[in-house]
Amino acid sequence: MDGPEASRAAPAVPVPGTAGEAPPPAAAPAARAVPTPSESPAPQGAALPPEMADSPEARAARRIAAAAPGRAPEAEAELYRLLAPRVRRYGQRHLRDGHAAADLAQQVLVLTLEQLRSGRLREPERVLSFVLGACRLTVTDLRRGERRREDLLQRHADAVSVADIHVAPRLDHGRVADCLARLPERERAVIVMTFYDDQPSETVGRELGLTAGHVRVIRHRGIEKLRRCVLGDAGAGAAGEP
Amino acid sequence: MSGTLKHLPADELLAYWLGETDAAATDLVDAHLLQCDACGRALDELVALGAGVRDAFRAGTVAAFTSGAFVRRATSQGLRIREYRLPHNGSANCSVAPDDDLLVSRLEVPLAGVQRLDAVAENSLEPGVRHELHDLPFVPGTDEVTSIVNAAAVKAWPEHELWLTLVAVAPGGERRELGRYTFRHRPWPGQAGA
Repeated sequence: MDGPEASRAAPAVPVPGTAGEAPPPAAAPAARAVPTPSESPAPQGAALPPEMADSPEARAARRIAAAAPGRAPEAEAELYRLLAPRVRRYGQRHLRDGHAAADLAQQVLVLTLEQLRSGRLREPERVLSFVLGACRLTVTDLRRGERRREDLLQRHADAVSVADIHVAPRLDHGRVADCLARLPERERAVIVMTFYDDQPSETVGRELGLTAGHVRVIRHRGIEKLRRCVLGDAGAGAAGEP
Repeated sequence: MSGTLKHLPADELLAYWLGETDAAATDLVDAHLLQCDACGRALDELVALGAGVRDAFRAGTVAAFTSGAFVRRATSQGLRIREYRLPHNGSANCSVAPDDDLLVSRLEVPLAGVQRLDAVAENSLEPGVRHELHDLPFVPGTDEVTSIVNAAAVKAWPEHELWLTLVAVAPGGERRELGRYTFRHRPWPGQAGA
C-alpha cells in the first residue's frame, strides 16, 4: 500500500509539516509535550494491555511509521477511521460537549499521525496508549480554559480535513415519549430526572427521597424497558453485551 | 480486535457516563473504550436514549410525578414552567401558554405514614373513564405531590375539567382517599380548542 500509486494519493488526514500542507503558524504556541508510550504511556490511570500489539490499530501505526512521511495514506485513513469515534466518545464523556469532543478527536489524531510520521512515536504498536495519554493531556488542557482550547484549535485549524466521526443518531422524541408513557410511574420519574441533564443516582435519590442504590435499581429496570420499546428487539439487552 | 476483551455491562457504562464511577474506575473504562468498539457502540446507544428522553421532556410531551427539587432544577436551566399550587382538596382555573415548556401542578396532601400512593384521574371529556396511576413517587417527609403534565397534549385540549384523587394504599391493599383536586382547564386565547 505504500507503493507508487498509493503514494500519489492525497493524505487522508493532512498533518502539519508535510508536503503540500501549511506548517503550523509561527505564532502558534509550542506543542505540549505529549508522552510517547516508551516514556510515559499515560500520565495517570489505566494503561492498555500488551496484547493490543497486533491489533488493527497497531498494524496501521507500524505501516505509517515504516513509510516515508505522508506516504501511507491508506494506513492513515484506516487509523483515523478506527480511532476517531473512540476519541470523540472520550471527549463527550469528559468535556460534555459534542463540538469540543469532535475538536478533541481532530487534535489528538493529528498529533498522533504527526508523531508516527516523524518517527517520534518509537513503539508504534503502542499507539493506543499514546492516544489515551494524549486524550488525557488535551482534556486537561482544555479544562484549563477556553483560551487554551482556542489556541489548540487555531494551531490545527488549517491542517485538519473535515472529519467524518460517527455520532449516534438522535432518536425520534415522539417515539421515546410514547415509550416513556408505558413505564411505571417510578421508573419514568427516575429516567426523566436522570437524563434531563445527566444526573447521577445520588442527585436523583436526594430529590426523590430515595437511596442512590434504590435509584440505580429503578433506573436499570426502566432503561431496559425503554430500550426494548424504542429500539425494538435489536435494543434488548444489547448494551454491554455486544 | 475485541474478540479477547470482556465487555462492560450496560450499568457500568451508564455509571461511567453519569459520573458515578470513581477516578480509578473511570480510567479503566476510558482505556477499555479506546480499544472496544462494541462497548463504545453500546455507550452511544445509551447516550442516544438519554438524549431522546431529554428531547421528549423538553418538548413537553412527557408526564411524570417528580419532586419540587427537580422542578427547581429544570427551572434553573431555563425551561419556562407554568405552575399551579393547589391546597389540600383544592381546585384551580388553569391554562397553558403557547410558549410554556412545562406544566406543573403541586398538590398539598397529608402524606404522613403513607407507604404507597396511587391516583385516579377522570375528566369531563371522557365521562365514566377512570385512569388509574399506581405507585407514584413522592418525597417522604413532605406533604406535597408534584406532577409534571404533558403540556404538548394539554395545549390542544378544549375546555374541560379534570379530577385527580390521591389514594394511600396500605401493605395489605386497603385504600384510603387522601385528597381530591379539580383542574378547570381553558385553552389559551387564540390557541387550538379555544
